[in-house]
Amino acid sequence: MLRILSSTKSRSGGNILLLRNSESGRDSLHCVPANSEVRSSGASWQRWLTVHLREFMKLSSITAIAALLYASGVSAEEVDVADAPMFTFNAFGTFGVAHSSEDQADLRTGLRAEGAGFTDEWSSAVDSLIAGQVNANFTPKLSAVLQIVLEPNHEGNYDPHVEWANIKYQFTPDFSVRIGRTVLAVFQLSETRKVGFTYPWVRPPLELYQLNPVTINDGVDASYRLHFGQWTHTPQLRVGHSKTKLPQNGGTADATDVWGISNTSEIGSLTAHFAYVRTKITLASFDPLFDGFRQFGPRGVAIADENAVRDSPSTFVGVGASYDPGKWFTMAEWGRFSSDSVLGTRTAWYLSGGYRFGKFTPYLTYAKATADKLTDPGLNVSALPPFLAGPATALNAGLNTILSQKPVESTVSFGARWDISSNVDIKLQFDHMRVGDGSIGVLTNVQPGFPLGPEVNVFSATIDFVF
Amino acid sequence: MQRLRLTILGIGLILGMATAHGDVVAVVSDRSTVDSLSKNQVVDIFLGRVARFPNGNQAVPIDQAEGTAARNEFYTRFAGKTAAQIKAHWSKIIFTGRGQPPRAVSNSAEIKKLLASNLNGIGYIEQSAVDDSVKVVRIE
Repeated sequence: MLRILSSTKSRSGGNILLLRNSESGRDSLHCVPANSEVRSSGASWQRWLTVHLREFMKLSSITAIAALLYASGVSAEEVDVADAPMFTFNAFGTFGVAHSSEDQADLRTGLRAEGAGFTDEWSSAVDSLIAGQVNANFTPKLSAVLQIVLEPNHEGNYDPHVEWANIKYQFTPDFSVRIGRTVLAVFQLSETRKVGFTYPWVRPPLELYQLNPVTINDGVDASYRLHFGQWTHTPQLRVGHSKTKLPQNGGTADATDVWGISNTSEIGSLTAHFAYVRTKITLASFDPLFDGFRQFGPRGVAIADENAVRDSPSTFVGVGASYDPGKWFTMAEWGRFSSDSVLGTRTAWYLSGGYRFGKFTPYLTYAKATADKLTDPGLNVSALPPFLAGPATALNAGLNTILSQKPVESTVSFGARWDISSNVDIKLQFDHMRVGDGSIGVLTNVQPGFPLGPEVNVFSATIDFVF
Repeated sequence: MQRLRLTILGIGLILGMATAHGDVVAVVSDRSTVDSLSKNQVVDIFLGRVARFPNGNQAVPIDQAEGTAARNEFYTRFAGKTAAQIKAHWSKIIFTGRGQPPRAVSNSAEIKKLLASNLNGIGYIEQSAVDDSVKVVRIE
């Protein structure tokens, strides 16, 4: 039997429940991620060290494999590589500030802990990042890439992490295989979403690009470039897995058995992209909540079975196209994330266009996100004896808080990019977001005073560079 | 009639001057088997979309350095893109580990020198720099 020891609760958001199992005597903390204010404390440097040692070990083994392949490659083929430097270094970054009119929640990107609005009226944590990359060309066919990105992480600290670390073998000019870490390319701009200089806006539309927490893949992929007349098609196959740390004590998103197929087709100024990815997702931080439901008979078990995120089959689909003849551009994209769990089905799309007046590119974007269901009646509280009604109400609230985190909203954005040199740009952008009733949209850190279906104005300014 | 002929002549002269001024042409080694390419084929080679000439031979593009007049002229005329757009294009490829931009040299003389020793090379130089060591690629 579960008993609530303590509970903090708000209308729109946070539920932190301390439950005690009377049989085992064990306490468990039920914290619903996006709204809880529980922050980890202490021993963070130890965690930092552990994580980085682990990353380092991973990289050293990659380097060792590379060295082996290099040694075997050189003796085998004596190719002239004089023209291509062995190592190349590149970097990119964005410095930005953003302001949100909604002070009861944070606007954020990716899986950063904080953003603009509640935490800071003007925040540099929404868009700022800096990244360095080294490319190694061991032979004309064997190369490796390592990219480290420094940006606010799930705990709000500027923390370096490995975005790309893979070895590529180019069997032919058109066929290559990569082993290691790559970005999971579900959407057109997934792979370059952090490189602000490569797109016109301050950031890719959040409605679509916040659809899923799984953004990297540790595994193997193969791509084959095909030329049909004027068309170039690049189909790609991938398998792998990944672990992603979530903010607000959300624990880890584990994606296992990832496999995906994608294709990019180009003809002249037209690019079209399609991707399908299938995986099993586990969010262990939700387990205590659904274990709680399981204590409540068949109805509770049914709710838990339907909603728990335990090896839950999930799919991503992305379809997009862009047309960029030079003077102007237009692009549109549609995506869907669907999971047999509380994460449910989320759909988003956007349409954007702009015109280039020399170095000055004004643009306009409309983006929309919808989701299948935002509430669930949960357990029938009125049918329960009074001593169970309390815990049942808390569990129902926990379930509904998670459901309300599905983004339902639409945004109109306009702004301009100004190329101040061939590798630096400045951007200004204004977004008007309408958050759907009962949803928190793409926002996070939602506070008790968060209104129902707010309209939010966001102003952002960024400087992007590459070199 | 006389006047019309003069006008046509005038327009022709102006057009001729416009194209001759600061013109950049795609060039290959004078021993290359490549004679003509479409504008798109040239652009695809320089933007890393294809690695071969239509005849199947390997294609090795050689760029001029960033900021040079020849480079800006080439990408404006052949691809309709600014220096920043070209940089953005390569940033997408570099920062996804897919490749590196073509080797770049500082001027047209360097391009000619490299093409002399590289049958698979393709570059671009000012029309005025064309000599017997290179062959101008006819744009279809």
